[in-house]
Amino acid sequence: MITRLRREIGFVVHLVKLNLAGLMEYRATFLTQAIGMFINNGIYFVFWLMFFDRFEEVRGYQIEQIYLLFALVAGGWGLAFTFAGNANRIAGLIAQGRLDYYLTLPRPVLPHILFSYMNPFTMGDLSFAVIAYIFAGRFDVLSILLWLVCAICAAIICVSFMAVIGCAAFFMGNAVQWTFYLENALITFSLYPMGLFQGVARLLLFTLIPSAFIGAVPVEIVETHSFALLGALAGAALAGIGIMTVVFRIGLRRYESGSAINVNI
Amino acid sequence: MSTVVKLTHLQKTFRVKHKASGLQGSVKALFSTEYRTVEAVKGVSLELQEGDLLAFIGPNGAGKSTTIKMLTGILFPTEGEANVLGYVPWRQRRQLAYHIGSVFGQKPQLWYHLPPVDTFELFAHIYELDRAAFERRKTFLIEALGIGDWLHTPVRKLSLGQRMRCEIAASMLHGPRILFLDEPTIGLDVVAKQALRDAIQQLHDAENLTIFLTSHDAGDVETLCKRVIVINHGQVIFDDRTSALKRRFLRRKVIGVRFGQPIPDDFAVRDATILKHGTWGAKIELDTHVRPVEDVIRALMDYAPVVDITVEDPPMEEIIREIYRADESVRVAGVGPVEAEIPLEKAE
Repeated sequence: MITRLRREIGFVVHLVKLNLAGLMEYRATFLTQAIGMFINNGIYFVFWLMFFDRFEEVRGYQIEQIYLLFALVAGGWGLAFTFAGNANRIAGLIAQGRLDYYLTLPRPVLPHILFSYMNPFTMGDLSFAVIAYIFAGRFDVLSILLWLVCAICAAIICVSFMAVIGCAAFFMGNAVQWTFYLENALITFSLYPMGLFQGVARLLLFTLIPSAFIGAVPVEIVETHSFALLGALAGAALAGIGIMTVVFRIGLRRYESGSAINVNI
Repeated sequence: MSTVVKLTHLQKTFRVKHKASGLQGSVKALFSTEYRTVEAVKGVSLELQEGDLLAFIGPNGAGKSTTIKMLTGILFPTEGEANVLGYVPWRQRRQLAYHIGSVFGQKPQLWYHLPPVDTFELFAHIYELDRAAFERRKTFLIEALGIGDWLHTPVRKLSLGQRMRCEIAASMLHGPRILFLDEPTIGLDVVAKQALRDAIQQLHDAENLTIFLTSHDAGDVETLCKRVIVINHGQVIFDDRTSALKRRFLRRKVIGVRFGQPIPDDFAVRDATILKHGTWGAKIELDTHVRPVEDVIRALMDYAPVVDITVEDPPMEEIIREIYRADESVRVAGVGPVEAEIPLEKAE
């Protein structure tokens, strides 16, 4: 089991290296995309700077918490799609019959798909997360470690969520637009203090659209060093992996392939 | 020789949305969606022995690719059974994948922006190949397929023919026992096609490799395969030796000739039909059983100085139409299935 796991990890590492090599083929494009995303995040952040210039806090969040929130959300999002860049492209891959390549090879299909593409834009998110964390100013070792672990858990939740909604393509054909809307919902709600949402909205953000586990809960963990919450976050990440695996397996039986001309990029 | 592939009444149906044309049809489909069932493969049964080089041919939409996809575990069948090297492909896909290779002409496996050697390295990881064995295998394939010069060139800069040879090398790295080739010569020019055919033949001879080839090109079938199965509308309509196919259906040849001097309006060739007639040349169709090709070519060369000459097979669609017509006429005549009328020779 451990040997098997080690082999699969080795394979994923090789995929990541290959993806990086592919990105390096177009260095200028890669750099402009990463820098573009960094600037994009920065523009979004300006809104909060202006907000806190006029108000002291919003539902318990001050500018420091917003820095931390961005460090965590951008970190989770960046890790997710830098390494598992196909997570938000699954719907398109299914609809265009592009899983054939993965299905003819002796590797677990889902991880192979997920890690076969690296999104250069999200490298901008990763670098933005580091800068935001520096502004958050929590330099003790435990906080840094918790930030990293929380970002990894958030990344797993992002990937699982995107993969699950992408699998809708197995059942409804074209689900590209649907994944686009839900992806926006996930990221948008994760960038607001959770105190803004109550009742059903709050319940939704902890379940169907798990934005709370990407933003608010990790912020709480890094702030309070709560290991109970960390356990809950890890549990949510594991549940995400479980749901994603089951949904993908069920969907795969309905896969219809296709005659579209494909290219591995 | 052992049986490596056995299909029994394999079927695959797809549910396809049916919509009237135009915007009105699209709006109507929003409220009441009609579906129709398309039977892509209708009860295909066949067997393949180790070392067979089989051509699985048919027109577009005949069910060739769907059958290959079921044999490689990509698709689940609706009904029927399949056994490939002792595995049920759709249930034991991963175990089977270690023993088969596949090349889909329209679905490349090489990474587009990277050189082929990088994909080879990835495949070494995927198939968990021993380093020394991988290097030996790679060297053998580079030589056999003549790809040494392009190994470090990004795939996007390779020609289609060069890319296809690298695709085949990638799919052979793990030493598969069966190679599935789905339209490998699609889009290639004459020279590239021949080079690829030679490479496939060489690999087959060197390793007693079983090859399951689908193609639209009668030339692929004629030069490579000993046995041919023709599929149309999801059903096998012909299963015999290629020599039998040639004898019965690849009899017609089309000769294009261009002379060094003008030819008269009443230009004619004995036992052949003039399809097209120009001032300097003509297109001639002949039945090779009535008059051999070399005989006609000799006659043309004796007639006047020849500047250019080509000999072509009829397109695959036409051959299949002929086979299908033969099949239909036998059925209509009420003498049972085509196999009853035309005794099959056993494939090698």
